[in-house]
Amino acid sequence: MVMRLRPDAVRAAGPDPVPPAPGFRAGVVAAVPIILGYFPIAVVFGVEASRIGLSVLQAGMLSLVIFAGAAQFLALVLIASGAAPLVAAGTLIAINLRHVLYGPALMKAAGQPERRWAALWSWCLTDEVFAQALATFRTGQRFSESWITGLGLCGYATWVGGTMVGAWAGAGLLTGMPAIEAGLGFLIPALFLALLMSVASRAVLPAVAVAVVATLLGALVFSATGAILSGMIAGAMAGVLIR
Amino acid sequence: MTGGEILLMAVLTGLATWAFRALPTLLMRAEPPPGGLLARFLAATGPAAIATLFVASVVPQLIPVPRDLWPLAAGTLATVAAFLPRRSVIVATLAGALVYGAVFALLSGA
Repeated sequence: MVMRLRPDAVRAAGPDPVPPAPGFRAGVVAAVPIILGYFPIAVVFGVEASRIGLSVLQAGMLSLVIFAGAAQFLALVLIASGAAPLVAAGTLIAINLRHVLYGPALMKAAGQPERRWAALWSWCLTDEVFAQALATFRTGQRFSESWITGLGLCGYATWVGGTMVGAWAGAGLLTGMPAIEAGLGFLIPALFLALLMSVASRAVLPAVAVAVVATLLGALVFSATGAILSGMIAGAMAGVLIR
Repeated sequence: MTGGEILLMAVLTGLATWAFRALPTLLMRAEPPPGGLLARFLAATGPAAIATLFVASVVPQLIPVPRDLWPLAAGTLATVAAFLPRRSVIVATLAGALVYGAVFALLSGA
């Protein structure tokens, strides 16, 4: 016998309705920590670019075309030291290799959603945008391309804008304010630590612990880039091997 | 470097960076089998990457010559303490930076 249920009874007994996917504006709101972290660091980058003799347009171009903080600060060192452009590009590309892992990890956390515009929004998938997006998905929020575009574009605009402000203000901007400069310098580490706590769970503790140890060992044995790559790969491998 | 060489370096780096960020997302279309090696690897990658980035961002203060350890310890503790009550990333980030700068100012007399 087939029992027929009234539609409202089915709704009452069924699972909770799926919440609507967040839009562009929600992505902008989620970008607030990134904006707070990026702006001062981008200003410092602009100041440093000005210090080695780059114009406001050249500093802004670096942020517009590369959009990767660590690589850009190293780019200033390479430019100032007179490195060959192809050698410098190869060095900077090696530093950004870690970004290969971000997209697949994010899609896994988001449940392999539609990604029609991934070629565009993936450009904004920096360390901080990746970490913020991952932490948000862990709270149960759904993925949408509008949302991640809002998140990423805010970070991008802040980074480029902050760079221009710093380069325009020039090398003397933070002179005489060491405590403010020090506090601003801790914004990015504090952001990563807060994001780490927001995604942490008992299940991922082995991966986190191995990543921390491998990063420290990598810094002692290799370089900053070697430390980052060894930490990420060792931590992810620990997640595979330790159950 | 000349202006043209700086532009060349930036464009090459930017193109490679875009490829690193976009191509894996565009090419990996299928869901890896739940519980499989790839699924577990990707699930662990996120937290491991964020932990790595935190450590890498403070390592220059620890190696090779430790410096400003008290501001670092205070800023780290303040970030954790501010996060726990409401699990707010914004509040924790700002509290950590504020305490770091305050302790730095106290110790250096700045």
